[in-house]
Amino acid sequence: MEKALLYKEWKKTHVFTLTIGVIGIILMVYIMLKLGRSFRMAGMEHLWDVIVNRKQFLFRNLKYFPIATALCLGMAQYFPEVIQKRIKLSLHLPLPEKKVILLMYSYGVGILTIVYLLQLIALLVFSGINFPYEFTINALLTIAPWYIAGFITYLFVAAICLEPVWMRRILITLLAIALIYLFFLSDVPAAYQSVNYLLVVALVMVFPFGFYSVQRFKEGKQ
Amino acid sequence: MGTNNIVECKNLTHFYGKRCIYENLNFEIPQGRILGLLGKNGTGKTTTINILNGYLKPRSGECLMFGENSANLSPATKQKVGLLIEGHVQYPFMNIYEIEKYYSAFYPKWKKEAYWELMKLLKIDPKQKLSQMSCGQKSQVALGLILAQDPELLILDDFSMGLDPGYRVLFVDYLSEYARAESKTVFVTSHIIQDMERLIDDCMIMDYGRILYQQPVEKLLNDFKRFRFSSNGQSFEGLEQVMHPVTIKGKTEFYSFEKKEELERVLTYSGFKPTDIKEESLTLEEAFIGLTGKY
Repeated sequence: MEKALLYKEWKKTHVFTLTIGVIGIILMVYIMLKLGRSFRMAGMEHLWDVIVNRKQFLFRNLKYFPIATALCLGMAQYFPEVIQKRIKLSLHLPLPEKKVILLMYSYGVGILTIVYLLQLIALLVFSGINFPYEFTINALLTIAPWYIAGFITYLFVAAICLEPVWMRRILITLLAIALIYLFFLSDVPAAYQSVNYLLVVALVMVFPFGFYSVQRFKEGKQ
Repeated sequence: MGTNNIVECKNLTHFYGKRCIYENLNFEIPQGRILGLLGKNGTGKTTTINILNGYLKPRSGECLMFGENSANLSPATKQKVGLLIEGHVQYPFMNIYEIEKYYSAFYPKWKKEAYWELMKLLKIDPKQKLSQMSCGQKSQVALGLILAQDPELLILDDFSMGLDPGYRVLFVDYLSEYARAESKTVFVTSHIIQDMERLIDDCMIMDYGRILYQQPVEKLLNDFKRFRFSSNGQSFEGLEQVMHPVTIKGKTEFYSFEKKEELERVLTYSGFKPTDIKEESLTLEEAFIGLTGKY
């Protein structure tokens, strides 16, 4: 049953899933080619100056990719469920309703994790070859809030789409914008180093929002 | 749960804001019966279906399906309930093979022959997605899936919505034959009452805030008649037996559960001269209009 539900999610979103996967790979290739060109044209000394003295982050093109992909995947997955209240079909399946939503979440989070991991591995390999260990750790700490924001965006899109009450939809959207904005306050590398655990706490707190939306849908709130 | 009652709704009360939809609504659906819910727009048909499906929490009261509260059905009970959502909603991104494969995983008694028998009637490319099908074709897919699920209770919300006469007849014939042969319990709504007449055993006619009538269709059509006679335009006020009288150019038409002889006596006593009174049998649609009024 679980496999069938995941199959349905794949059928629904495979075009978006493959598209974001391809865009993610293209983006990484672009970043690597661009940096490789800089190595050759300006030299490593210049790049080092940019990184250390001017506090520039070399992978900043990745910044909005996680939230953009999460937004697209979330919409592709949950928007069709609210057209004609199609979510009723899933909730009527002979599975506990929370499990149905959890499986839908698992699919989306799983796809995002794969796409994000592909980028992370590419970044680790590229950075490991070209930069010292400390730089790589710093890069990971810098991009961590962006990727956590990606997962939070996905959870918010699910909650907003599944929410039956328009006023609450607007409130959740405003909350989402405010919370996600906090993840992009600073461009300074590793700026969130000391508060990264708080971002994970935020992620955990957003997790049940979609379940509350489904509960309200079940109660017929309008 | 009462003997053989698959569905029991007890003291249902619901309001939208301050507007009362109904108060203390009670009804049951016995095993093996096909119950049609009829009512004008805004009388609470969809509200009732939503409560029954667990997609609306009533202000008070409860609906039991197989003895479980419909708001919290167990997976085992959901397996016994086939649900057709208004507009024959299904997944438009699947084709008929994919959707059959998908649903078959959830139902151990899956009867794929029932599904494919209906699909043979569709003149479609097997790879055609549901999004590219007509409303009638989609209705056949949705019905085929429910029949393959082999549920004990079928809940069909406005099954005739968007269907042309051919598909409506096909839908009713298939459903009727299946439900009667397998002794299935069916709860159905439709805005096309002609279709209901060919399908249902019992009817529940709703008016604003209450159930007007709940009996077998046969009994309704036997007991409830239309009468016509020439009148002089007198008022029918106080005559409880006379329902929805209309007088146009000296010809009066009304509906009643009373026998013709009793009506003649009552009308004569009230000052009418019903010498040419005629009794007419009704279709279910006409009986519905007779009970609820034209407006």
